Amino acid sequence: MLRLLATIRKEWQLLLRDKTGIILLFIMPVVLITVMALIQDAPFKDYQDIRFDILTVDNDHGRLGRSVKEGLASGGQFNIIDSLDGRPVTAGQAKQLVNEGKYKISIIIPAGATAAIVSNANRIVNDITHRMGMSVSLPVKQTPDSLNVTIYFDPAAKKAFKGAIHQSVDNFLTQVETDLLLSRIKQQLRSKDSSAGTADTLAIRLQAVGLKEQSTGSGKQLDVISNSVQHNVPAWSIFAMFFIVIPIAGNMIREREDGSLLRMKLIPGSYLAILAGKMLFFVGVCVLQFYLMMLVGIYVLPLLDLPQLVMGHHPGATLLVAGAIGLAATAYGILIGTVFKTPNQALNFGAISIVILSAVGGIWIPLEVMPARMQLLGHLSPLSWGLDAINDIYLRNGDMAFVWKNVLRLILTGLAMLAIAGWVEKRRMN
Amino acid sequence: MSGISVKELYKTYKGSTEPTLKGLTFQFGKGKIAGLLGPNGAGKTTTISILCGIVRGDSGEVIIQDLKQEASHREAIKHIIGIVPQQIALYPQLSAVENLTYFGNLYGFKGKPLQQKIMHYLELFGLEKSAHKEIHKYSGGMKRRANIIAAILHNPKLLVLDEPTAGVDVQSRSMILQFLRDYNRQGASILYTSHLLEEAQSLCEEVVIMDAGRMIVQGNPLTLIHQHPGCNNLEDVFLHFTGNALRD
Repeated sequence: MLRLLATIRKEWQLLLRDKTGIILLFIMPVVLITVMALIQDAPFKDYQDIRFDILTVDNDHGRLGRSVKEGLASGGQFNIIDSLDGRPVTAGQAKQLVNEGKYKISIIIPAGATAAIVSNANRIVNDITHRMGMSVSLPVKQTPDSLNVTIYFDPAAKKAFKGAIHQSVDNFLTQVETDLLLSRIKQQLRSKDSSAGTADTLAIRLQAVGLKEQSTGSGKQLDVISNSVQHNVPAWSIFAMFFIVIPIAGNMIREREDGSLLRMKLIPGSYLAILAGKMLFFVGVCVLQFYLMMLVGIYVLPLLDLPQLVMGHHPGATLLVAGAIGLAATAYGILIGTVFKTPNQALNFGAISIVILSAVGGIWIPLEVMPARMQLLGHLSPLSWGLDAINDIYLRNGDMAFVWKNVLRLILTGLAMLAIAGWVEKRRMN
Repeated sequence: MSGISVKELYKTYKGSTEPTLKGLTFQFGKGKIAGLLGPNGAGKTTTISILCGIVRGDSGEVIIQDLKQEASHREAIKHIIGIVPQQIALYPQLSAVENLTYFGNLYGFKGKPLQQKIMHYLELFGLEKSAHKEIHKYSGGMKRRANIIAAILHNPKLLVLDEPTAGVDVQSRSMILQFLRDYNRQGASILYTSHLLEEAQSLCEEVVIMDAGRMIVQGNPLTLIHQHPGCNNLEDVFLHFTGNALRD
């Protein structure tokens, strides 16, 4: 125990004297998560709370045009722009402005669109009433119009964004068509039912089954959406924790080069106790780093107009995950410090390997948006296990039962890396 | 009673075609100051590493103070040996007291007794005024002295020093050599390597000159000088056996 405690105290003294190390371990990660959260705030907002301007050209001046404009405006995500400098926007102008990238989207509702929908509804009603033996006939156009609502997108618009707009406009079209058809049917039925008088006694409800969104979490529900802070703070914290590889590997190679490792090995007693002390210290530093960055997410980022980090309702599970990530990161540092002979080799390999592991592990962009093969590869990265576990707690309100698999993976990987480091060191002695 | 006995020791490092040690054999009695001398590449550091149990020999026998250097005795031998490596095996960012406290703790010493022992040695080596100064701020001689203290905290019966006076000033060298004589007088055996043959001649009761992984000659320095006509000092004996060819 004395060896373990002495090693922890020695590492603490070394860290206190190493100003650059302190900056690398604590200050740089705070800057990193702040910058990344700010930079990635806009892409995350694309689908959430950014309001887009939509140029709308309503050549119809009827119910369809009104319905599309009101529908888009009511969602809160779009500003309807139908005039510029006090003059209505023209189709040509809208096309040009979108092409120039000044607007992301424009919708052009053709003249006569509502009339075409009405005529089509009348034709359907005439057909139905004719089959029912009624003589009433509503006016229809002899030759149906072939009209389209035209949408122009900024060439740089994302596919998902385009799909969402398409879906919305299509819904408005369907809704207007359905409403007009139902109103025509009601009108005809009312004219047939003399007892109804002028009162609207027909209640036609088209939607029998509704749509309701609910949280999947158990117990206390979280009102959390994945936003820039919710993704970036845990993700880049894990990245920064793994960067502890640099000081650990440097520390181990220095100890080997200056002979202090030799001295430690010549002292009676197990070297494992010294290694355990070193590991405990660096795992502690990792956990400290993690919570420091969580505090930044909770208290500092909101000051920069970013959302506040939500940490879920299971602090015990969070601590366990942070410890497991710290263990894997520390073990990786010990492995690199053992395998490589010079600080330059170790530091370059360590830094680049962490960047690669983080990129494939979903730290930079979520794994879900990666190609299938990369997703498979990404699931092999210890950084992705850590991030998955944190997301389970923060976004899905998960507890120990949710995270134990990823925690076990991290711990076993850490132990495997230590075993390899031990084997390499033994080979070196022989 | 032998302090150190090495018999037919062979060692070839992985990736090397040439053996570093080729049947090295020598013996030093207990309580002596012995020198292991040889040109660069002779195998001195490998020999010391095997004696301490850091490197395993391929074959042969090593006995330290009547204990065979093998797995079952390795821990016991660690209690007996104190090693002063050629490098300054201390943490440069820590002070002498912090370094010595750490290594003392690893030996199982703690509290006031350890601090008293540390202060005693710091005074003995003239480092008491710099006790709380970081090691990287020390001069070369001060670092060497602190390096020796870290090896004797557990009062080893055999002190192994790899070029302990390399690159130090005359005062520090004189102090270190005097300490080694005093420490030997208390009953400890001392094995040291050096390229400074005049120093070895004045300090050692017995020397082994080795070259290319073999023992060339062993004996008392003065006896060796007298046995070889034309040799006026240990350096002449050394050159007589190892030649004038430059070594890598």
